[in-house]
Amino acid sequence: MLVTGALALISLAATGQVPASDKPARTGSRVDAVQYLYPEQVTVPSGKASPVALHFRVKEGLHINSNKPKDEFLIPTVFSIPEASGVRLERADYPAGKEFELPVEPGTKLIVYTGDFAIEARLVAQPGDHMVEAKLRYQACDANVCLPPKTITVPIDVVGK
Amino acid sequence: MKRNTLVLGVVLVILAVFGWAGWANWKYRQQAAERRMADAAKGELVAATGGDPQQALTPLVGKPAPEFSLEDLSGKKVSLSSYKGKAVLINFWATWCGPCKLETPWLVDLRNQYASQGFEILGVSTDDIDRDDSKAFDKEKKEIAGFVQQMHMPYPVLIEGDKLSKPYGGLDAMPTSFYVDRSGTIVAAQMGISSKDEMEGNIRKALKSGS
Repeated sequence: MLVTGALALISLAATGQVPASDKPARTGSRVDAVQYLYPEQVTVPSGKASPVALHFRVKEGLHINSNKPKDEFLIPTVFSIPEASGVRLERADYPAGKEFELPVEPGTKLIVYTGDFAIEARLVAQPGDHMVEAKLRYQACDANVCLPPKTITVPIDVVGK
Repeated sequence: MKRNTLVLGVVLVILAVFGWAGWANWKYRQQAAERRMADAAKGELVAATGGDPQQALTPLVGKPAPEFSLEDLSGKKVSLSSYKGKAVLINFWATWCGPCKLETPWLVDLRNQYASQGFEILGVSTDDIDRDDSKAFDKEKKEIAGFVQQMHMPYPVLIEGDKLSKPYGGLDAMPTSFYVDRSGTIVAAQMGISSKDEMEGNIRKALKSGS
């Protein structure tokens, strides 16, 4: 009895402790390679350019081109705000990015964003509450393949005071 | 005394089995981690696009290549059927695709090496084309032409490859290649950059098959 119970425990220990995270991730079709994290709402002095750090996350295993990719044909990551939003993008400061080498051609270095990154946007807001649907255009790849360029909406509630 | 020995023996056995279980579990986790690393090297887009994009190509292998007719950069219509009797590599690519740029010199070499045996490549660009805006259309075609010129691509380059996404398994990611034999049957398909050797192997397969 004692031995049977122990063996049952051992069997569980040996085979049953595979955490869910060990399974390959399978997500829904056409998942965005980049996710906007925060802030959802910012309050800035109206009429004055104010820096706002916008945080994004690139899906694990993927990279997107930086704002200044080395190759002329690569599509840079660009943040924009549509006109007539009540908020103007005076300037966007992008992170420098990290060097990335494709395994098939180690000598070729790309400048990319991976994991979490932040863009500092200098916003000029008119007085009032503005639901801004900003945009982030990017193009994602992994080590072997690339996804088509994509533009995602970055929703930010900007309050100009 | 006998009972104590028995209990001690059982305890020792249990400890030994626990030790083995711990080792087995560690080994399993180590192997799982190695598998994950290997999967990552193969391409995380499998997870990002949902399902396995390579699997979307598999049903096409062994079947006739879907017929198409697309314009080349000069505006001339080029159809797949006009290459019947030749082995054809249909290579879907885009100017913004780094791995496509890396494999293009291999394609050029292989095309030049095997052309005399009846092999041709059809490079199909999936770059966006806006026909409603003539200025944008010219600019987009110029960009593709710039890439073609820079890479010295000697084979026909067709535009608006996105039109073929449905018959060719979705074309979710670039590069994607289909190897078509002389009778028009797809003998191999590959999503993502592989190696020049693997491409050459598939070209030889296409040349041998269907004649």
